[in-house]
Amino acid sequence: MSDDRQDVTTFLDALRAAESAGADVLNAWVAVCTLDELRGGLRAIAEREAVHAELIAGRLRDLGASCSATVNELLRVGAVTRFGSSTLSDEEKLALVLARYPDDAAVTRPIDRMMDALDGDPETRELLRLVAEGEVATIAWFRAYQRALGRRIPLPG
Amino acid sequence: MSAEAAELISLLDALQAAERAGADALERWVASCRDPRLRGGLRVICARDRSHAALAEARLRALGGVPTATANGELLAVCGIVGDPQVSDRTKLTVLLTRLAGGVEGTIAVVARTSRDDAETHALLIAIGEDDRASLRWLRDINDTLDGR
Repeated sequence: MSDDRQDVTTFLDALRAAESAGADVLNAWVAVCTLDELRGGLRAIAEREAVHAELIAGRLRDLGASCSATVNELLRVGAVTRFGSSTLSDEEKLALVLARYPDDAAVTRPIDRMMDALDGDPETRELLRLVAEGEVATIAWFRAYQRALGRRIPLPG
Repeated sequence: MSAEAAELISLLDALQAAERAGADALERWVASCRDPRLRGGLRVICARDRSHAALAEARLRALGGVPTATANGELLAVCGIVGDPQVSDRTKLTVLLTRLAGGVEGTIAVVARTSRDDAETHALLIAIGEDDRASLRWLRDINDTLDGR
């Protein structure tokens, strides 16, 4: 496998692992979410993350690469525990998610960079283009929901 | 069960049937599609539609319903064209864009309006609708790309 191809599959595998872990975290949140509207959005967004992970796994298989990357287990379990906790409020969880993405471009910057390097693989490029749009839609929904709540919650210390 | 809940369940049932039929047709298109750009995007749209069907079915079950609907004749006719390996990619794109311009978006808008008193269903459908609008944008873009615009 060429170095370029290796870079692409390494990136895809890491993205797949992150999307899968994201779905786990969101599903943990759904299980304890007390706000009906937020829960409805979270269900759709968790499913979106899981679909992205499955699509990228499928593409990796097409490319003859394995799915072996994992998110650091301590980080994954920590996030699942935090977002699956009833101690932290939904508003605080929302603020934690949005604090990771100060602007919309921050969500897709790594994917956009990889797409620029994928001229020789238009199938993967178009797949990533739609995955990136899904990520933008997710953050836009979280922002809109937070605005609708009408108040901002300071991040926990 | 209230009349509003019964109507919502019926609409969710129609939605899950439509999304599933769409996913099945797109899966057949992906299998015969020779353009890698088109294939890459269609895979995502197909997976989205299947996940929307699952989400709508789970929600209608949570509301006490049971899925029984099947896609209507008009949609099945479109799906027949989209899934037919003998029909060109360009023709399928044209048929799909025509359908989506007033079809699936309209269906979700109706369900979203009907679910205003059910905040969880409403938010779920808004998110599904956003996915479908993104799919439509991509289909329009790739259609323009294939046209050389």
